[in-house]
Amino acid sequence: MTAATQRPAPPRWTGERRGAIGVVLLVAMVWSISGLDVTLDRLLGAPSDAWAILRQMIPPAFARVAARGAVGKVFESVYIAWIGTVIGALLSLPLAFMAAHNVAPIWIRVPIRQLFNAIRAVPELILAVILIPITGLGPWAGTLAIGIHSIGTLGKWATESIESIDSGPIEAVESTGGRWVSSMRWAVFPQVMSTISSYWLFRFEINVRASAVLGMIGAGGVGSELVSHLVFRDFPAASAVLALTVGVVLTIDTVSAAVRRRIITGGVGGDDSSRSAEALSDLTGINHR
Amino acid sequence: MTPTPGQSTRPERPRLRARTVGIAAALMAFSVFAAREVGFDPSTFWEVWSNPLWEKFWPIPWDWVFDSGNVLQPFVETFQIATISTILGCGLALPVSFAMSSLTTPNRPTYLVSRAVMNVVRAVPDLFWAKLMVTAIGIGAFAGAWALTIFSLAVMVKLFSETVDGADPGPLEAARAAGGRHAPSLRTGILPTVFPDYVAHALYVFELNVRASVVLGLVGAGGIGRVLEAQRQFFRFDRVLGMLVIIFVVVWVIEQVSVSLRKRLI
Repeated sequence: MTAATQRPAPPRWTGERRGAIGVVLLVAMVWSISGLDVTLDRLLGAPSDAWAILRQMIPPAFARVAARGAVGKVFESVYIAWIGTVIGALLSLPLAFMAAHNVAPIWIRVPIRQLFNAIRAVPELILAVILIPITGLGPWAGTLAIGIHSIGTLGKWATESIESIDSGPIEAVESTGGRWVSSMRWAVFPQVMSTISSYWLFRFEINVRASAVLGMIGAGGVGSELVSHLVFRDFPAASAVLALTVGVVLTIDTVSAAVRRRIITGGVGGDDSSRSAEALSDLTGINHR
Repeated sequence: MTPTPGQSTRPERPRLRARTVGIAAALMAFSVFAAREVGFDPSTFWEVWSNPLWEKFWPIPWDWVFDSGNVLQPFVETFQIATISTILGCGLALPVSFAMSSLTTPNRPTYLVSRAVMNVVRAVPDLFWAKLMVTAIGIGAFAGAWALTIFSLAVMVKLFSETVDGADPGPLEAARAAGGRHAPSLRTGILPTVFPDYVAHALYVFELNVRASVVLGLVGAGGIGRVLEAQRQFFRFDRVLGMLVIIFVVVWVIEQVSVSLRKRLI
């Protein structure tokens, strides 16, 4: 090789590949649009229709929806999410110990893992559709649906965190003659509990959103309020309900994220200014570097 | 405790602190209160279990389920909604994500505004968007596609802007030092390094969209959920269960394919 640096050869076939991907995407788009029953005037009219409704939404009629008890409905959604998370957490924790490959034998591990996978594949709303005829309309249907669905994700996350532990303490307990239960209690539990409880909180954040949606099919919470206002085309009231929901969701996300960080790091690190910057970035989602 | 020579001391047992007890008590109290609010009662578990209505879910009418007009056709519609909204949402997400990352944003106001707007958009649940769109532009798959496009955009910018945040700034600096303008610098300095993640995230968003588009029909936004809702209102729970089995299998297959593709990409 000479002293002059050589340019690396450009990768081959990039142009052809790009073209192929472009064609595939284009075909996929055309195919999907063909099923959506789109006409040109609908397509052109949609933005102005959406804009017209957006204009009617301002200003939101907070006083009117508050008088109808919308604030209570928002809190009902939070209660549903909380109890659903508690049910999911309590049921998933023992199951996770039976599903982790480092602490459970294969004959019990495989069926429980498949159970987690199966539960995760069914959305809360579908569960609620099944449960509503059984429990009747109301918050209990939503709570059960969220509780059952949470078992799947919480169980999977807890299993993964049990599988990633340090095996030393387990050996220590076994070498002193401890039984399986003692090694779980004294070797595994202390190592995983901080991570698992932060997963519970994270799931609670997700469940707040899910329970707001569940109300739309009558499973309790704020969704029913939104639907009834939209059905009667009462847009100021609908936007007020929407704003309340978004406010509560963002507040819970912020508080819960702060608590989770406290659980994981074991303390609020850094000086005061970095702490408030963190709080601000949580609140606004804006990263102050 | 003073250590005796030749013997190790036991570490002291952690003491229960008043604050820990207080927090635990507060959480318990809140749980009990919330449980009463949602109508929790241990006996309801048994009531749910022993409800005679469960019999209406059985047996599954398979010939109805596999009759192409009943389930297959709306299912295709569901896929069409998921596909178009993934493509549109992820396409729009590319420039918005670049605006939302402090590494690649063109200027400070763009950065602040795009972050604030996207946070609010993401805080609105997907079915709320669907219901809003159904009200605004009419019942059907068209409204569902709009709603899911917004939803995909919100999820995608969150995932992808974090990837861009973590990208290697070196090539971008090099492109800028060579006098590149903003867009070409991003195109050559950042995009090649983050593109595999972009595709992986897009596949994940497609997975989410398939799940979401299954339930869109419950609020009138087209797809398989429309049939589900109709059969539910006719109290044909056996048909509902049959459809759920199909949905379950399809969602599961898509997840497996997408997970294995994503593993290969990253």
